[in-house]
Order: sequence, then structure tokens, then C-alpha cells
Amino acid sequence: MRVVVAEDLFLLRDGLVRLLTAHNFEVVAAVEDAPGLLQALLDQRPDVAIVDVRLPPTFTDDGLRAAIKARCEVPGLPVLVLSQYVEQLYARELLADQLGGVGYLLKDRVFNDEQFVDAVAAVAAGGTVMDSEVVTKLLGRRSREAPLARLSAREREVLELMAQGRSNSAIAQRLFVSEKAVSKHSTAIFTKLDLALSDDDNRRVLAVLAYLNA
Amino acid sequence: MLGLLAAGALVAWLRGRSDDDGSATAARGRLRQFRWSLALAVVAASVIATLHGVLPLANKAAWLVLVSLAAALVLALWPAAVRRVLPVALILLGLAGFAEARSYAAHSGLAARLILPQAWLFLLAGGWLVGRSADPVLIRARLALGRVAELPRRALWRALALLPVLIFVAEFVPGQSPTMMSGIVASLLAVVAGLVVLRIWPAAAARLATLGLLILGLIGVFASLGWHWPDGGIEYGAVAVDGPRAVYAGLAEALGVLAIGAWLVPQSFTSARRLLGLPPDPELTQRVQQLTRSRDVAVDTAATDLRRLERDLHDGAQARLVALGMSLRAAERLIPVSPDAAAALVVEARETAARALTELRELVRGVHPPVLADRGLADAIRALALDCPLHVQTDIDLPGRVAAPVETACYFAVAEILTNAAKHSGARDAQIAMSHSGGRLRIQVTDFGLGGADPAAGTGLTGVERRLAAFDGILAVNSPAGGPTIVVLEVPCALSSPKISSS
Repeated sequence: MRVVVAEDLFLLRDGLVRLLTAHNFEVVAAVEDAPGLLQALLDQRPDVAIVDVRLPPTFTDDGLRAAIKARCEVPGLPVLVLSQYVEQLYARELLADQLGGVGYLLKDRVFNDEQFVDAVAAVAAGGTVMDSEVVTKLLGRRSREAPLARLSAREREVLELMAQGRSNSAIAQRLFVSEKAVSKHSTAIFTKLDLALSDDDNRRVLAVLAYLNA
Repeated sequence: MLGLLAAGALVAWLRGRSDDDGSATAARGRLRQFRWSLALAVVAASVIATLHGVLPLANKAAWLVLVSLAAALVLALWPAAVRRVLPVALILLGLAGFAEARSYAAHSGLAARLILPQAWLFLLAGGWLVGRSADPVLIRARLALGRVAELPRRALWRALALLPVLIFVAEFVPGQSPTMMSGIVASLLAVVAGLVVLRIWPAAAARLATLGLLILGLIGVFASLGWHWPDGGIEYGAVAVDGPRAVYAGLAEALGVLAIGAWLVPQSFTSARRLLGLPPDPELTQRVQQLTRSRDVAVDTAATDLRRLERDLHDGAQARLVALGMSLRAAERLIPVSPDAAAALVVEARETAARALTELRELVRGVHPPVLADRGLADAIRALALDCPLHVQTDIDLPGRVAAPVETACYFAVAEILTNAAKHSGARDAQIAMSHSGGRLRIQVTDFGLGGADPAAGTGLTGVERRLAAFDGILAVNSPAGGPTIVVLEVPCALSSPKISSS
């Protein structure tokens, strides 16, 4: 799988490249600033890009803006955005085009290389992966409102993991239950939240996020 | 004249009739209309009296009737215009009066003597009307004058004492036998010169006015006490000093001018205040005290924040890094002996590192929120609204950035207000409105909760208020029992042009 990495700090960029190479990804470009990133994305058309929010030249949200701009030119270009902090505002901007193939994770998540690599693969496959911190905040804000209050504690756990872009089997593994139990929970969630059922993982996540953002 | 009064009364009656919804209001309106017609009649009569000396008007009575009717028509058709024109006409008449008095200097008689006081009267009445008029054009003129001077209100009045000085000068400059036109021109030039001084050197205007009043007072005293003037007399302000009785009037006026000048000395000259043992400037002294207070708070706050930062780093991230180092060292020793135990320690080390990162992230957010650095105040407030447990609507109109310290202060102020609302108000919905106009940033946070919030009770809002004071910002809370609670903060600050984004 062909990957473009954009990170301005040498140590982190080097670490990411090593981690990805070790997991059989092909890093076709590792750039250190936003103009370089945009160039690499349009030239290389990678299967997925891993982008730091804060990049030169202005050291603000250049990486995020470059990623969104690239997705304007190449709709659905898979981008996984990494940051030292997560903002719901940025999550909304990334999700705005509703095309999937978007991830938004804290940099700490690279500590768990297997989960991180899974997330990269999910984004490359057109899925949506949101950091648990974003999801928790979204849920926290709406949890007092009527439909969410109807969910049981277990169902809320499943919903959180679902919004993080995990498949039913991954959720089952995480919660130490059977996959069948997870699918039962998710049916209950969709019924309680009045969301249309869909087989597509990505649509499922987008529907949940759209509901939470409303 | 009679025709004008009759016309005025008719207009007043007609207008009174047209709005008969409230008879008291209508009566007041009629009275006001009548007063305006009276004023207009006086001015019109004066204009004719003035003009007939200059223009060759054959039939004075016919002109009087004609002009009166024209004035009545103007009043009936454009009442607002009259209010605008009248004060200006009065001022011009006053200026003309000074020159006219000179051409009558040879005549003696009551009418000639009355011209000067009448000129002063017109000038004062015109100035007074301009000062209290609600007419938009005149208000703009007043504001322009205030802006021209760029002085606090009181200092402006002091500097405006320059005007009488200039009029005195205008009296002397054209000499003793001028034409009326040269008198008007000289007066106008003097007034313009005064405005120019106010504009370029406002602080000096007050001093010039003071000195001018003193010198004029002294001249008046000498002139009145038997200075021998050619041509039988001299105009001095509102008095033509040309005879034994006029000497007393002139002396009284001179002493009056001297007294005003002497009264202004300590206000215009700081050194004089020091000699008299008065504080240099009460306004400045007050401002200095206020700035000293807000600076103390700012320095205090900065020191407290740094101490808190140091303690948080010491107890948090630093301690975790020490633990991390120890875990890794222990794992290093365990690898040859017990690889499984070593692996467990490494997992623990990784978790410690993750916790240290989380703590550092919270710390950074408390020091300077990254989204504020990235996007500025508008988006940072939107992010706050999204993170708030309440459902917050935002209405933000901020086409640019304000200074970074103001952004930070306002961000934390809004964060504090929202936290309070979420904790205590019991509200589910809130609103944030932010806009910038007239050099002030205004943020209003409304929560639709129980109300009854007492800003004095909790320390949160008091702290916010004290921090905003460093920027001359203010905070107001309105929270009636039963809600809603409205918190408004206003900070004077400039708006820089919007940053051009590369996307």
C-alpha cells in the first residue's frame, strides 16, 4: 500500500516511516511542510496519506488545510490526520464532504502500532476513523438528550467504538463478547436512534456522526 | 415682523392639529413651534437690519414683509432645516455685529452702543443652540470638533476658551475703521485659525487661550483706565470704551476676562499646579491609579499562572517521566532473567508515557489553546461552543484578528462563563454573540437557565473581570431570578485585516 507521510519533526517522521515500513507499507513520500504535502498528494496519488495538523510554513493548521484542499481536487482521497490535540471543529471540517476515507487521531495512538496500522488500513479502504476523545466529547454533550439517554451502558460502549470506525468483529474482541451480541446491540442502537440500517461500515459511522453532530 | 409671527402661529396651529392623538404632546409641539418662529423672526429682522446698511434697499418696509413671508414659508416647509440653519445664522450675525459696531463708532447713541452686546448675545445663543441641537448635521459638527481636538471632554472645553480670544483678536486686527466685510472675514479667519491650532497642537490651544485671556484682560484694564485712544474710543469685547460711563462697563468686562484667564491658569499649566501644591491633573492621577491597579493584577496573575504551570509540570509530566525511566531500567535488567516480566514493565512504561502526554495536552490547553493559535478567536469560540455540554448557538461576526493577548483573555473569559453556565444555571441552551464595532470587541453570552447568578458570590467572574481590566475591558452580568443570564464583555481593541489563508 502506497503512503505519503507529512510531519515536520524529524524524529516523529522517521519513526512513522519505520513503523509503516515494518508493517509492509510503501512510503512513497515523506514531506515536512504543507506545500510539499499538497505536491506529493497530487503527484503520487497515494492509497492513504498520514498528515500532521501543524506544519510549516505558518505552524498553525496548514496540514489540515492542505489535506482538505487535496480532497477538493481528488474527492475521497484517503487522509488520516494526526495531532497533539483533537478538536471537534476540525473533525467536522474533515467529515463535511461525507465521502469517507477520513481519519482523525491523537498522535499518542501510534504507541499501539497494531491499532494504528488497522486505522490506516481502514481509512485507505474508505472508512471513517475518529479518535475516541472526539467521540467521547460528542457523546458526552448529547448524552442528556432524549434518544441517547435511552441507550444502555453497553449500547453506548458499542456506539463509541462504532464511531471510532471499528468493525463488529473488532468491537466484539474489544468488549469480550460474541460478534452476534455486537450486531444485536448495534441493531438496538439504530432502532433507538432512528438511524437507517446499512451493511456498509463507513456509512454506519457517518450516520452515527451525523446524528451526534446534529 | 407681524406677518412672520402670524405665519408662525398659523403653522404651529396647523401642525398641532395634524397630530391630535395626544393633546399634551400637541400643545408642547405648538409651543416649541412658536418659539422657533419667534427666534426666526428675530434673526430675519436682524438680517434685514444688517443688510440695509450694506445693500441699497429702497423700500425697507416692503423688503421686511417679503423676507418675513419667505422665512415663514421656509419654516412651514422645512422645519428641520430651520433648526439647522438658525444656529449658524446666529453665529454669522454675531460675527457681522463686531464689524458693524465699528462702522457706527462715529455715531453715538443707544442703538450704536447696543450693537456690540447684541453681537455677543447672538454669538452665545448660536453657540448654545449648536451645543444642544439634536440635528444630525450639527451633532456631526460637534463630534468633528471633539475629534479634531482629540482631547478628553473637559480639556476640550478649556481649549474652546480659545474662541473668545480669537474673536477679540478679530476685533482688533481689521483696525479702527474697517468695512463690514473685512470684519466678517477677519472673524472667520480667526475662528479657522483657532480650529487649526486645536487640530495640530491641541494641548497648546488651552495654554494659548489662557494666555490670550490674561493679556486681553490686562489690555482691557489699561484701556478702560484712561488710555488715550484716537478717534474717541475702542471696541473692547461687548463694550465700546469711548466715554466715562463706558469705562466702568469696559473695566468690569476686563476684570471678568482676567478672572476667567486666572482660573484657567492652574488647569492649563501643570507647573502652575505644582506651585499651588495641587495634584498635576486629577484625570491623569485617576488614570495612573487605575493603571497601577490593573498592572498589579496582571503581574500577579502572570506570576500565579507560572507557579501553577511549574507545579503541574513537576507533579505531572516530570514525575511520570521519572517513573518511565525507572520502568525501562528495570525492564532492561529483567530481559535476560524474565522476558515476560520485562515485557509487562515495558507495557507499563508505554501507558505512563501516554498518561504524561494526556497531562501535557491538558496543560497546553490551559496555557494557550492550540485552536486559538491556529485559527484565532472566532473559531476558538466555535470550538468552545462545540465542547460545551450545553447546546450553544454562535453568532460571530469578526472579519479579522485582534491582538493575541486580548484573544487569550477573551477566550478564557468565555470558557469561564460557559463553565459557570453548565455547572450552575441548569440551562440546556446557550447563545454566544460576538462582534467588533467602534474599536470595541463585544461578546455576549446568554444562557436560558434559572438566572439569579451573583457575580460577587463566586470568584470566577471576579477573576475574569480583573483580568479584562488589564485591557481596559469591562464585564457586566444581568441575571434576574428565573433567567436568562446575560454576561457581556467589552474590550477596546483594533481589528487587524483578516489573515490570508493559503487554502
